[in-house]
Amino acid sequence: MKASGSSGFDPEIRRIEQAIVEFFAKKTPEYTGRHPIVSAVMAYFYVRRSLTQQDLQKLTGFSAGAISKAVRQLVDMSMITREMIPGTHTHRYKMETLPFRSPSYFLQTEKTLEKLHMELQEMKDTLDAHGGDMLNLEGSQRVYTVVTQLLELISSVPRFMALIEEELHNFIKQENVKR
Amino acid sequence: MKSSKKTLNEERLGAIERRLIEIIANFGYLKGHSAKTAEVTAYIYIRQEVTQQLLRELTGYSLGTISAVLQDLEKAGVVNKYASPNARGYIYRLAGTPSQVLSRSLADFPAYLSQTSSFLEEVAAKLSKQSLSKKQGYSSLRRFLDEMNILIPAYEHVLQKFQATLLGAGKKRVGEIGEG
Repeated sequence: MKASGSSGFDPEIRRIEQAIVEFFAKKTPEYTGRHPIVSAVMAYFYVRRSLTQQDLQKLTGFSAGAISKAVRQLVDMSMITREMIPGTHTHRYKMETLPFRSPSYFLQTEKTLEKLHMELQEMKDTLDAHGGDMLNLEGSQRVYTVVTQLLELISSVPRFMALIEEELHNFIKQENVKR
Repeated sequence: MKSSKKTLNEERLGAIERRLIEIIANFGYLKGHSAKTAEVTAYIYIRQEVTQQLLRELTGYSLGTISAVLQDLEKAGVVNKYASPNARGYIYRLAGTPSQVLSRSLADFPAYLSQTSSFLEEVAAKLSKQSLSKKQGYSSLRRFLDEMNILIPAYEHVLQKFQATLLGAGKKRVGEIGEG
């Protein structure tokens, strides 16, 4: 039986989908601080995986501007990819795998982190080189502390995320073997 | 001569601070926070103590926007609010070091997983109605539930294994001077 309505899903399935989206739109911001609109749009991708901005407007009721902002942020976060639909000026957005598959999804790529590390190191070198004169300036000690903390974070977090990812991968593999 | 040298260092420091704000705000943005929330958080982290007025001057956002963002951050346990001894209004500070704030949010994660798991069990029960299996959209929902059925236990396992390390990282910083 063909689904009625513009959502493409059977109405009863659609109601269940809406309940899922409402859950993630409410809970994810509570626990992660993620924006509720971004959380809702992400949840639609968890289920539908491939959507246009127009689809999302119809599904969510959010404005074109809000949807445009949300998908741009999700592309920046590497959660979804964007491709032009041939013969049109419209883009299709795809979530190939659930982001939870790899916990490092929220980290930038290794190359970007490397660039960032270099930039922060340069800042630290500048502060060290002019330390004597700069120490008297208001806020300089704090800036130095922040640069050092960020350098430490950028060095340690990727290694830790790699450990978590390996553990996740091994657990899932074991469970699949059991099944 | 001396004053122009000082001005050059002030410029260097200002440029470094501005770039740090961009970097930290971008981390927040890439985690899905709104750009404004991410920027306000970055300023609080760098400046350590801010007022709403100072944030307005630094960001250009309206007091209404600043107030709403600070309320959200307070609710999320990222910032604390203190009465200002000198003036009207409040002072806002990060609620601990970044790793303390992070490990506090990680401590909540098992509850998030557990609530998600219970909710998805209810969804699976609704979806198991025989009449639904041939309906449009069923396979998409089913695929999502099946994947989460694998991923949630996997994350629960990983959290159990690494939680001691993660919470330890947060506690380690408590003794640091000037780190809240």
